[in-house]
Amino acid sequence: MPAYVDERIRGAGIGLRSQHHQEIIERQPSVPWFEVLSENYHAAGGAALADLEKIRNLYPITFHGVGMSLGSSDPLNFEYLARLKSVADRFQPEWVSDHLAWISVGGEYVHDLLPLPYTEEALHHVAARIDQVQDYLGRRILVENPSTYLSFRDADMPEWDFVREVAEEADCDILFDVNNAYVNATNHGFAVADYIEALPAARVREIHLAGFEQHDNYLFDTHGDRVHPPVWELYRLSIKRIGPVPTLIEWDTDIPDLEVLLAEAEKAQAELEAQPCSA
Amino acid sequence: MQRLNQLQHLVREAMMATDADGTAVRVASETVNPTRGLSSPEHLRIYRRAITGTFTRALGQLYPVTLRLVGQQFFDGIARRYMRIAPSRSPDLAEYGRSFAEFIEEFEPAAGLPYLPDIARLEWAWHLAVSAADEMGLNIDALSEVPDSNRDNLIFILPASASLLASRFPVHRIWQVNQADWTGPQEVNLDEGAVRLIVWRRGYDMRIDPLCDSEWSLLSALTQNMPFRNLSRNLPDMVTLLPHCVQHGWVAGFQLGESTD
Repeated sequence: MPAYVDERIRGAGIGLRSQHHQEIIERQPSVPWFEVLSENYHAAGGAALADLEKIRNLYPITFHGVGMSLGSSDPLNFEYLARLKSVADRFQPEWVSDHLAWISVGGEYVHDLLPLPYTEEALHHVAARIDQVQDYLGRRILVENPSTYLSFRDADMPEWDFVREVAEEADCDILFDVNNAYVNATNHGFAVADYIEALPAARVREIHLAGFEQHDNYLFDTHGDRVHPPVWELYRLSIKRIGPVPTLIEWDTDIPDLEVLLAEAEKAQAELEAQPCSA
Repeated sequence: MQRLNQLQHLVREAMMATDADGTAVRVASETVNPTRGLSSPEHLRIYRRAITGTFTRALGQLYPVTLRLVGQQFFDGIARRYMRIAPSRSPDLAEYGRSFAEFIEEFEPAAGLPYLPDIARLEWAWHLAVSAADEMGLNIDALSEVPDSNRDNLIFILPASASLLASRFPVHRIWQVNQADWTGPQEVNLDEGAVRLIVWRRGYDMRIDPLCDSEWSLLSALTQNMPFRNLSRNLPDMVTLLPHCVQHGWVAGFQLGESTD
């Protein structure tokens, strides 16, 4: 068994992007872990997989995906899950995560995370599917609160109750995206403090931080900018409440130099270390 | 679950409908809360823009030369139409776009660039090769152990990364001069004529190799799993041709087919 299996995810990591593969392999920058977009490595072979093999030998990793479509009313896609399982078996991520959302219905995929109606029906449905996925993968997964730009009239509970109830019922963990919570609070008009207060602290194993874009009447989650000051503020509040959980800097559009990501991760690391029982 | 299923179908239809103000968006918007700054349809349209952006970006990354040849605006127009008639059926976005070349072929406004569909075919072949399984190349030792009596049943196999592509136009040249790092002359004479290509990967090195007629005949026969006995019957210069193709790396393996005895 490779030595890295015993390593743990701690502190502030960054999302691995293919533009940075070579630099990471050559420079081996000081960063505690990388989060890998798992679907980018579903290929049969090629240079990207070989790069990941090298990076995996240098750093612990986690897997993050958008393909499970956990909230969909379609049957689960086991072809996809089989691929994910095989890549996870090969690279041994510390954990695997996806979103509390849906990307498909009727077998057709839109490849963007669509929100669920926060209803009892949806809650039991998505919890049962997470349970099935966990059984199949043989591991507990983390589910992330998505950024949303609409809410359904059907909804009969606030988002934070939905997230908490799903996690309890499915017995899964939570990836709390502070930026998404801030974006949603602004878009739908609620107080993020209520959200953070309602989180089941013991289940939150990871935090995401990213940048958003200000539009005329809403915030849009682009993952294409530095973390904004109010999100740092909420991050401090979050780790005060739930502890110094591993934190990830996410950046997906207009990807900057590795240095920029490392600098953002250092800021998060400093916040984590400022906590009484630091990572 | 039935209610959730109905809701999701309504929303998906609103996402993929051509008309941003049409019936599908109006019907789905009845399920959506308005907010102070945005009406219900406006909330749906945020997602419509995001989804269109995702598909057009993904296609643009997969077909960069096609995009460069027609320009961003025209390309986005093709992509927006394509995403509606060719929905994605896999959670892996990397699998999307296989039929783009066929769509372009039927797309009247692109008819002025008759080589465009073959450029798209070349780019899809490239895309497949990038992520195809890693291979060691033909195992000559294992091949030498096949008894002479079995030789006729050998079926030679192309690299897993390989696609064969024939075009009436010098598409490999058009592709080449449209690469970001190309510094040579930009002109391609379309009268250079038809080409036959193999798009493949040796190790991690991506390759587009032009093929002569005899190389093309052999490699095409191999894609049809033709056993050695038929190859040597149909292709007169087989004795030199096969080692020549092996040397180029275009033959990556073999298997033993059914004996006809």
